[in-house]
Amino acid sequence: MNLRLYLQTLRWNRIRLAAIVVASVGWGLLIPVIYVNFSDAIKELADSGAFPKELMNFGSGSLFTLPGALTLGLQHPIAIAFVAIFAAGSTVGAVAGEREGGTLEVLLSRPISRRTLYVTVAAASATLVGIVLLALLAGELVGVAIQGVGDEIDLAQMPLVFLNGLMLWTAFAAFGLAASVSFDRRAPAMGLTLAYLLLNYFLEILGSLWRDVNWSQQYSLFHHFNAGEILTGKAALLDFAILAVAIVVPVAYALLIFPRRDLAAPS
Amino acid sequence: MEQASAVPAIATRGLTKHYGNVHALVDLTIDVRAGELFGFLGPNGSGKSTLIRTLLGFLHPTHGSATVLGLEIEADSVEIRRRTGYLPGGIELYDSLSGADALEYLAALQDRGSKMREELCERLQMPVSVLRRKVRDYSRGMRQKIGVIQALQHDPELAILDEPSEGLDPLMQYAFYALMDDQRAKGRTIFFSSHILSEVERLCDRVAIIRSGHLMALQSVDDLLARRKRKVQLRWRGVAPDLAGVPGLADVEVDGDRMRATLLGDVSGFVRAIASPSLEDLTIEPARLEEAFLEYYAGDEASEEVRG
Repeated sequence: MNLRLYLQTLRWNRIRLAAIVVASVGWGLLIPVIYVNFSDAIKELADSGAFPKELMNFGSGSLFTLPGALTLGLQHPIAIAFVAIFAAGSTVGAVAGEREGGTLEVLLSRPISRRTLYVTVAAASATLVGIVLLALLAGELVGVAIQGVGDEIDLAQMPLVFLNGLMLWTAFAAFGLAASVSFDRRAPAMGLTLAYLLLNYFLEILGSLWRDVNWSQQYSLFHHFNAGEILTGKAALLDFAILAVAIVVPVAYALLIFPRRDLAAPS
Repeated sequence: MEQASAVPAIATRGLTKHYGNVHALVDLTIDVRAGELFGFLGPNGSGKSTLIRTLLGFLHPTHGSATVLGLEIEADSVEIRRRTGYLPGGIELYDSLSGADALEYLAALQDRGSKMREELCERLQMPVSVLRRKVRDYSRGMRQKIGVIQALQHDPELAILDEPSEGLDPLMQYAFYALMDDQRAKGRTIFFSSHILSEVERLCDRVAIIRSGHLMALQSVDDLLARRKRKVQLRWRGVAPDLAGVPGLADVEVDGDRMRATLLGDVSGFVRAIASPSLEDLTIEPARLEEAFLEYYAGDEASEEVRG
């Protein structure tokens, strides 16, 4: 890993990171507030039969329990968008963006191997994703403390929730980086990465809304990040193993492909 | 001046690069001696940048091998780039950084210091006030100057420069030429591609001419020019000089008291033959690299891109 390149990559993202951290803390803070103030009303609505019960769930989360609400907060499109800015946007730009802009040539004319470049931007991406995730969890924890509902979850499990979330988003970041090293332009790499992200999201949400196809959730990476289960002491080792595979495969692909690629002159 | 190494700065052996059916480099074998200023000539698309990018590890050769500073390009690419300075053609820089920050960042990544930066900035007229500005606000020429500085600021043993004077105004071109002369005097090796022939003629010890990926010529500039025809014109009063049998004289056209011809090789025989009180005016145009180049490209549309 190249420390100078790592720090510069973080520096280039610092303003965007600051804005997203603030927004993430705010969003995390909101979830326990919604749970405490609206979960009973929503439960009554669900029990009345006015809406199908499936609509009361969202992915692996729901608003009926605090662990479910915290899971929902981390699977909501708003939270997804915050993390995806770095897990998809920054990773795709890391190589294909530099290539498109013509700066990859200047960068790689330094004594930096392509593998070192990859490992460095991967580490920077994981750091950025980790910071946003920490901000989301910190917001949720502060919200839980303010609402005084900390006894409903096992707070000691929070580091495991963070690890599980970090693995999920590192898997998407690894995919984004693999796409980034495979293309000379940002657009196809971004298209592929967003398609992968949205497909996973679609499978998770589809299974929660349509019980007949709830098997589809098993094929979604989002399903293997379940903060609620971890916070109630039901962490599944299999979830971590699946996410580890989802990280290792694109990383291995990128480390194999990137050094072997021809980097033709920028057009 | 430092002692030039016996190891060639660049050595290629049958270097070949294909992109599918496109043969960008074909069986290229050249040696660039340590301490020389070597020009690599060819029009756009002839394979100049492909060779440079292969030497630096951006492209992988299809066949053949090459060494840079005695190091294998495939196995030792990182070490090669540590000891080399590179200016890409049409360089792009980080627009959000200031010129000074861009140079500092690239020097830090190079990990060999920046002992020449101050001198280079002074010689290429990049004062602190300009370096403080963002790169996105720079003109094409300013970007090129930053490009030259980043390639040379760590005082590399070998500088590979792809069309280095592109975008520089005439004053800065002269400053750049003086810089190249000084680098050569210090024993540094410069390999640069260009299609500005006057520049190559002015700077280089030897040149290679490439056409459609094939090496057409590899010679010293002096040798190349010695084999070129010079244009001669003379005017006289009274009796015309007897030029029969002057070695190398050809294409003679006489128009009254004027004569035009071409002269190949040594001029001494010609000068002796015309030495007469009746000689009123004499012009011998120097042989130009442009003519040698165009000869190799005769009938090739690419020659239209060549500039003198």
